[in-house]
Amino acid sequence: MSSSTEILGKSNQSKNIITYSIIGIVFLIAFWLSSQSEGPSKFPKFVTDEFTFTAWVNEGEDFLKKNYRWITKIIAGYIKASYYFVEDFLLESPWLLITAIIFLPCMIAGGLRLGLYSLFVVYFWGATGMWEPSLQTVALMGLSVLLCVFFGFILGVFCSQSDRFENFMKPVLDTMQVMPAFVYLFPALFFFGIGGAPAILATMIYAMPPIIRLTNTGIRQVPAQTIESATSFGSNKLQLLFKIKIPLSLPSIMMGINQVIMMALALVVLACFIGAEGIGGQVWQAIRRLDVGWAMEGGLCILFMAIMFDRFSMAFSKDKERLPSDVQKFYLLPQSWAKHQIARLIEKPLSITHDIMKYICLFITNLIAYVFKSLISIFNKISAEDIGDFISKRYYIIPSFIVFLLIILVDAYFIKIGSFPEEWRLSIRQPITNAVESLTVNPGFISFTKGLRAFVYLNLLRPLDVFLTHIPWWYTMAVFVALGYITVGIRFAIITALLLSFIGACGIWSHSMITLSSVLVSVALCFVIGVPLGIIASYNERFRNIQNVVLDAMQTLPYFCYLIPVLMFFGGGIVSAVLATVIYAIPPIIRLTSLGLTQVSGTYSEVSRSFGGTLIQTLNKVKFPLAVPSLVIGFNQTVIMAFAMQIVTPLIGGKGLGLEVFNGLARSDTGRGLAAGIGIVLLAIIIDRITLAWTKKQRQALGL
Amino acid sequence: MKLTKTISALFLSLVLLVGSLGQANAAKRLHAAIADWTGGIITCEVAVAILEREYGYKVKQTVFPSGTGLWEAIAAGEIDFACESWPSYAEADSVMLNEDLIYEGKVVGSYSGDGSVDLLGTAGIIGLSDYWIPRYAAEEFGIKTWKDLNKHKDKFATIETGNRGRLIACPVAGWNCHDQKRLDLLGIDFQADELGTEAAAIAEAKAAYMRKEPFMLYLWSPHWFFGQYDMVGVQLPDHKVCDPDTFTESNNWKDCGTKGWPATGWAKDYTMNYGNPAVFAKSENAEAKKFFENMSLQNIDQAKMLVEVDIKKRPVKEVVAEWLDNNPDKWKPWLK
Repeated sequence: MSSSTEILGKSNQSKNIITYSIIGIVFLIAFWLSSQSEGPSKFPKFVTDEFTFTAWVNEGEDFLKKNYRWITKIIAGYIKASYYFVEDFLLESPWLLITAIIFLPCMIAGGLRLGLYSLFVVYFWGATGMWEPSLQTVALMGLSVLLCVFFGFILGVFCSQSDRFENFMKPVLDTMQVMPAFVYLFPALFFFGIGGAPAILATMIYAMPPIIRLTNTGIRQVPAQTIESATSFGSNKLQLLFKIKIPLSLPSIMMGINQVIMMALALVVLACFIGAEGIGGQVWQAIRRLDVGWAMEGGLCILFMAIMFDRFSMAFSKDKERLPSDVQKFYLLPQSWAKHQIARLIEKPLSITHDIMKYICLFITNLIAYVFKSLISIFNKISAEDIGDFISKRYYIIPSFIVFLLIILVDAYFIKIGSFPEEWRLSIRQPITNAVESLTVNPGFISFTKGLRAFVYLNLLRPLDVFLTHIPWWYTMAVFVALGYITVGIRFAIITALLLSFIGACGIWSHSMITLSSVLVSVALCFVIGVPLGIIASYNERFRNIQNVVLDAMQTLPYFCYLIPVLMFFGGGIVSAVLATVIYAIPPIIRLTSLGLTQVSGTYSEVSRSFGGTLIQTLNKVKFPLAVPSLVIGFNQTVIMAFAMQIVTPLIGGKGLGLEVFNGLARSDTGRGLAAGIGIVLLAIIIDRITLAWTKKQRQALGL
Repeated sequence: MKLTKTISALFLSLVLLVGSLGQANAAKRLHAAIADWTGGIITCEVAVAILEREYGYKVKQTVFPSGTGLWEAIAAGEIDFACESWPSYAEADSVMLNEDLIYEGKVVGSYSGDGSVDLLGTAGIIGLSDYWIPRYAAEEFGIKTWKDLNKHKDKFATIETGNRGRLIACPVAGWNCHDQKRLDLLGIDFQADELGTEAAAIAEAKAAYMRKEPFMLYLWSPHWFFGQYDMVGVQLPDHKVCDPDTFTESNNWKDCGTKGWPATGWAKDYTMNYGNPAVFAKSENAEAKKFFENMSLQNIDQAKMLVEVDIKKRPVKEVVAEWLDNNPDKWKPWLK
């Protein structure tokens, strides 16, 4: 046994030496080639001249615009009309009504705690002067979620009923999820115009997959016994679906809705780039004016909103906990504090209020139910019973409606409530701006940022930029194809070759190499910063909990919020672009490092420690190798996020393909923008596939 | 139970929607673009505020990068109007406008395009663009014109540009400044750095000025920067277009050397507002059309508001509302 492992180890070692030396040789050749070449490598001119993708796209667009624009215009028109309708309603209603519409459902679904939180969120929107943009974002998000859930649910049900349809949908869903959102954000612009309509349609593409998937799996996971017993009672297929399967799969569907909401919110904010209104537009304007305070306010509005919707939709799908009758139920404080006298004292009045409110609600609802019952019983006794029953069971919703109605009536006939009161404004803009400004004139801080900027540029970015752009294109391509062949297989190698030739033939080779180098530098920095943080988190639970909260918050913020602090402290330029990418893309690497290290089962580290391994030895020799697959997944996600970030970094001086996309948009050159956008996606896809395949191999090798 | 919950929630939203039917009033709507420099934003906000105050419009505003894309969006009717176009920066104007631009009775530009965009009228702002260096640098190195720049290019270099000088260039690609082309044609060994936004470029310049470093900045006036910092122009050659005008996209950007644009400075820019012809031909928008024909915001007024917005960091809407309240004599005449 021991001898066989030894041999295995030895052959592994010699294999390792060979791999490393091959990598070394590949690098040396690349280095030599790039130092030989005079200027940036260019694709052969006869290819780029013949392959005028840009012109084809523009011609195609003209053709489509001329001949089929009326269809997309009709669709866009409908969506626009319904969006304006919702928006008008939200913006012109008295603010109290909006508050009630947000507060009461939150309170009903999530209890007093969520209710109070929602009040805070609404107050924050108003206080920072983001009332209108916030509601515009809510309107856009609400409409897209509604459409997503409607179509997603139908498609999900179809998937669950037909295997063939499911097989057809699977790759479609995969592509929808892999594609970075901006790739179809911009084409949506060209077909559906600017503003709400393309934003909603793009959001549908982006946010629909989870609901389709979860509806499908939810329905498919209904236990066979249940179905059998239902069939034996003589239900037909439709009855089975609507009475048994769908109700039983509701938790899964609700989870899907939760994900749809979060994804829709993220994209709706990003959609400011195609002219959608809302907080995204505010943050963009703030970035353009370098107003950190303003941008922060916008970012916080989005963050609070996201948390609220998340908790709300979670609360909706979660079962309420049932307490034994002798325990006092807590409404505000954590239930685990029930053992403290003070907590019980604080909760007492709340529970009394709750009881009173409940009584009032029940009373009103029953009264209404009674009135309806007696009114309808004049015509039809049986349906009167049903309706009465139906109403009296909704003792939360009916009173809520009465509250809404009262507010509308008061606003219309007595006192004009209007928009959010100006006197309640509490701007945090100025303090933030002042704080940042005082920091930016601090000489020590300036020298630090300048030093960092110079270091990153001189030692990382510029050499890599020059290196990558100067290597002949055929060599880079060969390296990628070889990597694809080794990790995935011959088919993927061919695909890689085709994709890279597409990039080259579009004439954006050197742009794509600049993008690649920015991404690589960002990812390298992410590793340097993220892995130690992950290690600390894996050892210290308290640190991990705090970090998780921060990372959660970071992942809810839209990409371009990260431009703000960087722009403020480091100014504009390609280094700032890299730093913003690092901030955005670092969460997965931290998370997955800590996850990978904590998941290494205790026995391994125990064994290592009992053999006398020190902490560092255990970490280095046992935990890290076992956590490699997890680390690679972290790497993979970080790379994808770094690529996604490339689309917004031109706002603060980023170069490469992202800038090309922007230039295409500004010059109304669809082909140019699209080619660059596709270029980013293709690079991301190639690296994604290679790393994923490599993880798989590692896992198999480790026997996980 | 949960299904009924969901149904009730849907029902609730439906009822709210129906309830709001009565509320939604049919306000006159216009859709304006928010420009990507503060001056443009202010000019447009003045127009928007007056349209809303005096004519009962409801104006939706969308952030949209200026450039050909914006012109096409207006021609396609996705945006109704945009403000303060600077003719030197627009490449679409000669293709899409079909009208004369008249300032104080004088024709300052005539266009013969296809008329897919309507020249609504003057914006009033008369702009000037150039490359600028701080006075301390000009005096220290004795730089009088752009011809002296090459001698001191190493002073203007940064880590990003190596041994070439650095120009903090025109920040937005869509503005078609052709900075690098101009530098190359004039033989100025500088590198044009596009920083993406006006704010980023100004922040760089401001930081450099505070540290008393030499720097060269592309900038236009009216701009608040000149009020705060002492800058001198490098006196680029006078604006000239070579005949026939060859430097166009359709001509693959062929230039005629140092004889004409883009190897020259910018022309004086008589700015204008522009919009969708179909929208402003509607009878219900006649008042708005009339207003745009009369509107003319003076440089000095915009400059005052620029200081409030960019230096005191106040919201544009607030600043414009205040200006309208305090200066009715200046804008009431536009309403006739």
